[in-house]
Amino acid sequence: MSDPGADPLSPAIPRRGFMRVISGVGAAVLGALVGVPVIGAFISPALEKPKVDSWVKVSDDTALLDIGVPVRVDFVQTQDDAWVESRALISVWLYTEDGDVFKAYSGRCTHLGCGFTLAEDKKSFACPCHRGQFDIKTGAVLAGPPPRGLDELKVQVRDAAVYVQYREFRLGVPERIEA
Amino acid sequence: MIRGVIRWIDERIDIIGVKKGLLDRKMPGGLTWWHTLGSATLTVFMVQVVTGIVLAMYYSPSPDHAYDSIKYLERAVISGATLRGIHHWAASAMVVLVLAHMMRVFVMGAYKYPREINWVLGVGLLFVVLGFSFTGYLLPWDQKAYWATQVGTNIAGTTPMVGPMIVKLLRGGSQLGAATLARFFAMHVLLLPALLVTIVLLHVALVIRQGIAPRTAVLDTDAPPRTTDPEYPEYYRTRYAQSKGAGVPFWPNIISKDIVVGVVVVATLVVLARATGAGLESPADPSDSSYVPRPEWYFLPFFQLLKLFPGSWEAAVAVGLPSVLVLALLLLPFFDRRSLRSMRHRPVAAASMSVILAGSGLLIGAAVREEPKTAVVAEAGRPLSSAERSGRALFARQQCGSCHHIAGQKPPAKKDDAPDAPDLTEVGLRHSSAWLHSFMEDPLRFHSDSKMPPFGPPTLTHQEIEEITRYLTSLRGADPTRKPEYADTFPATKTRPGK
Repeated sequence: MSDPGADPLSPAIPRRGFMRVISGVGAAVLGALVGVPVIGAFISPALEKPKVDSWVKVSDDTALLDIGVPVRVDFVQTQDDAWVESRALISVWLYTEDGDVFKAYSGRCTHLGCGFTLAEDKKSFACPCHRGQFDIKTGAVLAGPPPRGLDELKVQVRDAAVYVQYREFRLGVPERIEA
Repeated sequence: MIRGVIRWIDERIDIIGVKKGLLDRKMPGGLTWWHTLGSATLTVFMVQVVTGIVLAMYYSPSPDHAYDSIKYLERAVISGATLRGIHHWAASAMVVLVLAHMMRVFVMGAYKYPREINWVLGVGLLFVVLGFSFTGYLLPWDQKAYWATQVGTNIAGTTPMVGPMIVKLLRGGSQLGAATLARFFAMHVLLLPALLVTIVLLHVALVIRQGIAPRTAVLDTDAPPRTTDPEYPEYYRTRYAQSKGAGVPFWPNIISKDIVVGVVVVATLVVLARATGAGLESPADPSDSSYVPRPEWYFLPFFQLLKLFPGSWEAAVAVGLPSVLVLALLLLPFFDRRSLRSMRHRPVAAASMSVILAGSGLLIGAAVREEPKTAVVAEAGRPLSSAERSGRALFARQQCGSCHHIAGQKPPAKKDDAPDAPDLTEVGLRHSSAWLHSFMEDPLRFHSDSKMPPFGPPTLTHQEIEEITRYLTSLRGADPTRKPEYADTFPATKTRPGK
């Protein structure tokens, strides 16, 4: 390795410096070669773009919906759960005052996500978990712990059928943020 | 600041002493590039650990989901395909590097006194690595994985007396299935890593404690003839101290070489991973008995050797040869006690290594040469899917070939009364699968003067007709890359004339 006969110290100093640089650069390259794909795959879920949901038909005919009384519609949505295709039962509440303008509320209480029901007076929604109450007309909180009014979903009426675009929102916070 | 922290730690746990013992320790002079093989293996093992951890986050060890989870990794996860490619190629690299490292140690006689224990640990590592390869091969749960593991576990089953028990133990039951996959996964990510890490730590600790073996010449001059001679330890100590005194420090002289080799090896793995990936065949199909399984390439010599031994001999070789190999490797440092280390003085060692290398090379060559015959069908120019193979078998059973000719198959016998049937060599270029299926069902619907009998139910089921259809669409003549151009015309009505 070292030159026999040469001064053991003087040539060794620049050479050792070179070896240190090679080692440092090499180690960095090694780290990058493996680290980039490994970290990329690890953080991949955090960078995933939100999926565009399609419109779900919740009522065949607007004429069949009662005026002034909300009605619950349950439907099954296929969800891509990574490599498993799972089906989730989803509830939305439809409400109309005049048969022209429709409102759709997500069926989950904004407090902790329980499913709520129509109160006996049919003027408000009542959540059985912590006695949250919401107005049927506006979705506003009337009583109890919910931090915000009900989550309204986008509604579309085409050929007398009602479609909604289902979304999930963060629970327990005053702002409406998509989950 | 940093210096203060270092001093604070050093006062308590003496890290400067550790640095002196690890990084500044002198290595014997004359270390070659061959001496980097061990550290290269360690580098690749660390690559396997980090890639394996993230792969496990996207894997489901159940026959229902294993294949889909890998599809998902390749399709939806950022750099998922690269990650899997690296892990796949690094698995091969591990085997290559471990064997190369072992050969380096063998050639330089470094397994002799005082490194017998480390040689035995190294042999253990070789078999743990092969265990990783065997268990990891099944995890994708594709055809290759399933059938290679069938064969692998069946080989273990040919062991006399305890064979059936070993098969059940390996498979977690008598059948290869859900329990096998869970078992292999647990071994691959829990048992074997724990085992490997433990042995590697011991192996490396011994390398540090004993130092790397010096050049063969250092220990070959004036040596007592046998390492068991009472004066040998003293001779060794003196010589080794001399060679170390003339040597170089581990950091940075040796480490820089190790890192350079590590970068070259890992960069190669990344290039291979990006260029070819890890491959994924169709999902495991336990009912497809016509699939021809191939083991990973480094098992090919063994695989090919088994073919040379018929019947009862095969079982003896299948179990006996690996057992003899393990024993020979383990016992090597205990029966080879001559002190001379250079290959020039070890004709038996040189000869046996040449025989094993040449034999393995020849067997791999033979296995590769045989491959096309077993996998690629002449008339289609490519391996067929399971449905296409079933169709091919039906084609033969229904004696379609007695009227129709396909280049590459036996031509039909020319009989005067035989109808003049179209040549099917390029039928996949002329007709769509829908047309072929309908035509075979009832040729008279298409040509009222057709001499071909109808094959629709009850003669053949729709499933069977579809299988023949799949086979026929695979027939595209000499150049399988040509794109078909269909000009199919279907009869106007679904009913047969006259019905």
